Amino acid sequence: MKKFWALFFWFWPLVAILVCAVAPSRGWWFPSAPLSTLGHQIDGLFYLILIIVTVTFVGTQAALGYALWKGATKGSTQKAWFSHGSHKLEIIWTIVPAFILVFISLTQLDVLAEIRVISKFPDSVRNAPVAEVMARQFEWRIRYPKPGQQLMNVPQPGDLYFVNEVHVPAAIPTMINLRTQDVQHAFFVPRLRVKQDAVPGLIIPVWFEIEKAGEYELLCAELCGWGHYKMKARIIADSPKGVSEYLTRLEQEQNEDGVAEVDASKEQ
Amino acid sequence: METSIKITLKNQVLLGLLALSVSGCSDGDSSFAYSQRTQSLIKEAQNGSEGGPGVKQTLDTRFGNPQQLKAWMKLPVEWGGSAASVESFAASDTEARIKFVAQEGVTLPAVASSVQFVTGEGAGQSIALTAWDEKTGEAVLAGVPDKTPVSGDLCVIDGGSTLKSGRVLYMRHCSHCHGAAGDGNGPTAQYMIPKPRDYRHGVFKFTSTNDQSKVSRNDLLRVLKYGIPGTYMPSFLLMKEDELHAIVEYVRFLSMRGEYERRLVNELASDYSETAVSDRLASEKASDIVEELQSFLKDEFPATAETLGDDLAEIWTSADTEDAKILPTVARVEDSAESRQRGRELYLSKTLNCADCHGIDGAGNGPQTVAFEKNPVTNELYPEAGLHDVWDNPNQPRNLQRGIFRGGRRPIDLFCRIHAGIKGSRMPSFKNTPHEDIWHIVNYLLSLQFESDPGTIAAKSVAPSETGE
Repeated sequence: MKKFWALFFWFWPLVAILVCAVAPSRGWWFPSAPLSTLGHQIDGLFYLILIIVTVTFVGTQAALGYALWKGATKGSTQKAWFSHGSHKLEIIWTIVPAFILVFISLTQLDVLAEIRVISKFPDSVRNAPVAEVMARQFEWRIRYPKPGQQLMNVPQPGDLYFVNEVHVPAAIPTMINLRTQDVQHAFFVPRLRVKQDAVPGLIIPVWFEIEKAGEYELLCAELCGWGHYKMKARIIADSPKGVSEYLTRLEQEQNEDGVAEVDASKEQ
Repeated sequence: METSIKITLKNQVLLGLLALSVSGCSDGDSSFAYSQRTQSLIKEAQNGSEGGPGVKQTLDTRFGNPQQLKAWMKLPVEWGGSAASVESFAASDTEARIKFVAQEGVTLPAVASSVQFVTGEGAGQSIALTAWDEKTGEAVLAGVPDKTPVSGDLCVIDGGSTLKSGRVLYMRHCSHCHGAAGDGNGPTAQYMIPKPRDYRHGVFKFTSTNDQSKVSRNDLLRVLKYGIPGTYMPSFLLMKEDELHAIVEYVRFLSMRGEYERRLVNELASDYSETAVSDRLASEKASDIVEELQSFLKDEFPATAETLGDDLAEIWTSADTEDAKILPTVARVEDSAESRQRGRELYLSKTLNCADCHGIDGAGNGPQTVAFEKNPVTNELYPEAGLHDVWDNPNQPRNLQRGIFRGGRRPIDLFCRIHAGIKGSRMPSFKNTPHEDIWHIVNYLLSLQFESDPGTIAAKSVAPSETGE
């Protein structure tokens, strides 16, 4: 029975190795492959941490199993050795994790800078947000500049409005300005690996480059109130031409004066 | 599809009602709450007697409860289901097989779980289907019916499917604010200003229909899709079209139920409310009043209840017709400084008097916002200053400088708000104002948000006394 526990704790590292080896290729960790350029880098960081954690887990479990095995096979006459108060051990288990953590924090700096530091944003988007995404309990209100104009932080005449649907160009870097009208929300697009809190009073630029045109789910990832679950929208990535056509349509709709309908009904 | 059901069923006087049970609901017995006004009637008027049903029973037999909805076919609700007729019927001791033919213009559904017979001997009975083939229209009934259907009998397959799915969606997404009966008093309603809409008046604020008309289906759909900025009503844009459609029908069903309840109570309230009866007791005997009520409930009330339903059907049907729709006769006047100036003059003019509520600079702070208003029903002053809506909630005029337009920001939306007014609120209809003038005002309103100092400019450029005479 004593040996059973050693084998038990040796068994789990084997499972962990197997899972970690198979998981990336089977897509067990993520809802889909990353579909934005930053997404690949973020996934890369995730897998790096996964490897570190797996190695640590396997190492500690192997050591645990070894200690149990030794204890099980030694005779009962031998005295136990207590490690409590061993400075040498304490220094080792402080320095090794510290080294690992510093390594991780230095490694991710570049990616973090690309996501968060405006001066590291691609030149083409740095000062050119395509839309303002205003989170509010419990929906996303979108404001586009009038076609041909720049987006300003305060609403301008001719701005276009929509709700719960953002049209952005695919295959080129895109930036939106994220704001909130009330409490904290978070702009989360799982398939793009984009997640950014919206903080009251701040205008937070968020950039991404969607690789493929298509529809992407946008969720609120910050518990923002009783209707949090309702805060679902979609991002529609389209060719730049498609986006500008959409905006033209939206502009027409928004200037609707109901008179075209009169003409149509007269003709009938 | 639904239209043909209505046409088919309209002639069937016998079957005025379809029972639509919603199975698979385990959320306990929920019921449609009766309104305060119903509960202010004396018990005999609420509950009726052997001679004739009271308000509660009249309502329940026509609308049911959330588990067991009823379709009062007279009402213009798209209940859902496919109209068909029986082609052949064969029954053994244990099994009954039936073959349906779809009515013209109707396609049989891919999945079907029940059939309700509309004509023939078995009219009114509803039987579950255990097997269904959409291609041939052949089905196996769950039991052998007592009364044998014959070829040519009309029936509805999965009658009320739209209403039932609307109920499920409504309970999940809407009822926590708007309440199970649409009384605007769900559990989360207490945290909200403004309050969620109470449908039971049958009044909706933001419509594209003229001032005397009800809300159209399309108006409700727009509100569902795009939400109401400036309130807690969120957008449900991501729902599928058929889901939105089902919710719209269910909301209309609840509105009609509530409005029907109000109208029934109106028939009784002046003579048989608790307060009216206590006044009458000064000169009359209690037993006489009850006897009089009972004979009214027996002789007149059933016919009145039917007529009220007809009235309701008529006004709700007409809301979706072209006649009800507001159609500007002139195109929007091009937005220019002159047009805005003209709009401002009209805004300040004595005839339109927008500034009385919305303030001289559109900030929503006109003199009416600090005056005490009388409740038009009770004739008592409201406890707080300012304007109130028909739901008795404080309802201050919109601050037009903020660029938040609850009913939509398209020029046509603002045009409709001015033309028809905002129903249920103190915003009156300006339907007699020339359309061109309305467009000038629209241009002015849309520009207000971008004025740096709207009040000063207004005072400098136009003195209110010079205009609008």
